[in-house]
Parts: sequence; C-alpha cells; structure tokens
Amino acid sequence: MKKNKGDEVFVNEIKAGNKMAFEAMVLKYQPKLMSSLIGYTKSRDQAEELCQKTFIRVWQKIDSFRGDSALFTWIYRIGINLAKNDFASSFSKSSKITDSLDQNEHDVPQYLSPETELIAMESENKIMEFIQTLDTDTKTAFTLREIDGRTYDEISQILRCPIGTVRSRIFRARQLILEYMNQENILNG
Amino acid sequence: MDKDLEKLSALYDGELSSSDTQESLAQMNANESLKETFQKFGHISDVVQRHSKQKNLKVSFLRDYLSKINPVMSNLVTAAATVMITIIILYQVDNDRFEVDRNTSLQLSSALSSDQAKNQLLNADQNIMEHIINIMQSNQSNNSQQVSKNWIPVGFSVNPNNPNQYSNGRNNLFFHLENKQLGIKKVKYFKANNNWIYIIPLQDGRLLTAYGDVPPSVADPMIQLIYQRN
Repeated sequence: MKKNKGDEVFVNEIKAGNKMAFEAMVLKYQPKLMSSLIGYTKSRDQAEELCQKTFIRVWQKIDSFRGDSALFTWIYRIGINLAKNDFASSFSKSSKITDSLDQNEHDVPQYLSPETELIAMESENKIMEFIQTLDTDTKTAFTLREIDGRTYDEISQILRCPIGTVRSRIFRARQLILEYMNQENILNG
Repeated sequence: MDKDLEKLSALYDGELSSSDTQESLAQMNANESLKETFQKFGHISDVVQRHSKQKNLKVSFLRDYLSKINPVMSNLVTAAATVMITIIILYQVDNDRFEVDRNTSLQLSSALSSDQAKNQLLNADQNIMEHIINIMQSNQSNNSQQVSKNWIPVGFSVNPNNPNQYSNGRNNLFFHLENKQLGIKKVKYFKANNNWIYIIPLQDGRLLTAYGDVPPSVADPMIQLIYQRN
C-alpha cells in the first residue's frame, strides 16, 4: 500500500495534539490492526490487549514517526514488536513490557476501546460479492482507492474525470456497502 | 447529511484540506454516529484489502479498467464473462529453452502507472486477448484446422465428439489451429482462473492455441514436441 495524503494529515494533526485526529486514526486502523494481530497471535483476547498497547505506544511515539513508511506499516510494526515482546516475556516469566496503562506517563486519550467487532468470514464474502455488483464507474474508483491506494488526483487522471466525481463515486461505493451491511445486519451490534 | 458523509469519506482518505480536516474532525467529535460510520469505513478497507491480497482482486477488475480506456476491449471481455480472464502476469517462453522471461511481464498496476505501459498493454496484448476471448467463446472446433496427432501429449486421447479436445481422464486440453499472425515469435501463456492458455506460433506461420487445466509442467514437453515435429 502506498503512502497517502491521509496519513500525513492525520499525523500532522496528532503531532499538533489534536486528540480527535488520534481517535480518528484509531477508528480507521483498529479493524485492520486487529485482523493482523489476531492472525499473528491466534487469540482474540491477546490481540485486543496488544491492539490497545499498540495505540498507546503510537500516541507516545508519534513525534518519532518521520513518514518514511506508510502510517499503518509503522503501527503494524509496533504491534508485531509488542506481540513478540509479549511472547518472549511469557517464556521468561519476567514481563518487560513497559506499555501497560498504569505505567505510561503520557496523557493517553481515554476513549480507546479495542473491543472492535470483527466481520465474520461469511459476511466478508457477502461484502465482496456485493462489491462485484456495483456499477463499473463506482467500483473502479473505489478499487483504485482501496486496493491500489491511489489518491483522488491520480484516480481522476486515470479515469479522466474531475476529482469531485472521484470523491462522490468513492463515497457512493462506501455508502452502498454500508447500506448493504445494514440490510444484512453486519456489524450492527 | 450525504454531504457530511461524503466529506467524512474524503477525510477517511485524507483528501481534505487542513482546515476542512479540522472542521470535519470537530464534527465527528460531536457526533457518535459519524464516528461509527468512520470506523465502518475502516472495516470495509480491512475486508477489501485482505481479500485483494488473497485473491488478486486487483486484476479481477481488469475489465473495468479496460472499459475506461478501450470500449471495444471492454465489450469483448464483458461478452466473455464466462471465461473472465484473470491475467496476472504474462509469461513469454523461449522456443528452445522454455525459460520464463519475467522482464516482459505486464501487470495492471504498471499499466495504470504509466502511459507507456498502458499503451504497451493495449497495443501488444489487445490482439492476444481478443484472440483468446474469441476462441474460448466460439467453442472453437468449427473453424479450427485439424491438429496433428503427433502433437498430443502421451496419455491424452481424443474426445469422439470434438476432434480438437483431448483428455487424459483428469485434465482436458483443447486445441485451435489457424493461419494467423499475432506478431509474436515466442510461446506465451496465461493463467485464466483454473485454466492455462498457451499461444504457440508455429514455424510454418500458423498459430496454435492450446488451453485447458494443464499446467506448464505438463505443457512444456508438449510444446517442445510440437516444435520438433512441426
């Protein structure tokens, strides 16, 4: 996945102390991080704990993020390192993790809730099938954004249409997918 | 409301200006429903990106991409939906040594990223793709020349109902032989879903197309044999 302007905007706002930007970043990447950590740990509970620790670490260390890699790559690396640390400490019986909530000295936003719902595999397949039914214009713009990681500007050049059209097509795709998810009762608590 | 959500979607993609970003974040801060929607965008990304890695979804959208740059191709591919070609990499094989030359690989991503690659994809491969689609659509035995029995791999026998279809009980192989020039000098092969398509330019100027669920490990000796006996 390419770096994109989205990361830059969030990072700048977070570095400037905008806690809502941090929350938005958590909301954006939490599902992806949880999927990755569950894949790594094979344990939902462990993944949730690691996910929380990861975002605490991200909040603490965001100033050291230079943008050499995509933001999620950096977050993911932190998460995996914490998981390795966790794994090693479970063997040595002497936990060296210093990221527990009581120990950190930073002002961590209080709304962190790693209990992210995950989408069941069956529902994932339904969503993917639904995406295939989207009209070509909508699907193409959405795919170029989500899978190719293209910016709106790049997509507008590829599809030879105004950026505003790209923006509305991508939104349209998301809106239709959300409507479908509601209809199928996916992630409705 | 839709305008707010469209802005939220652009915020998610980081496509808002700094001032719009701050405004949109403040709006989200005051509205739990917007936060929930924003996180659902994250779920959608997660699902789509994981599935694309698992299933090479990127290339399955080739038809959509082509429709933007070449309506003729799009129509052809649409008409051939039952043989939706999920070309991942185009291989080119030397006649004599059958080495895979990955330098000639064409990927959708490269085609998207440069005009040169895009033109290359269209100009160099449009004929090939049209050829493949036409053959697979036409049930091809009608207008194919009879293939030589000497070319058939050991263990394969002819289908009594179709003189150009061969089977070894597990795998099926179809042949299409015609007088045609596609401007290629080397064997090219493609993976299309569970099938492989081999385009074999013969020394006498004819073009042999073989396709079926026969992997290169089985097809390579057959192609060598064809070159030896043609």
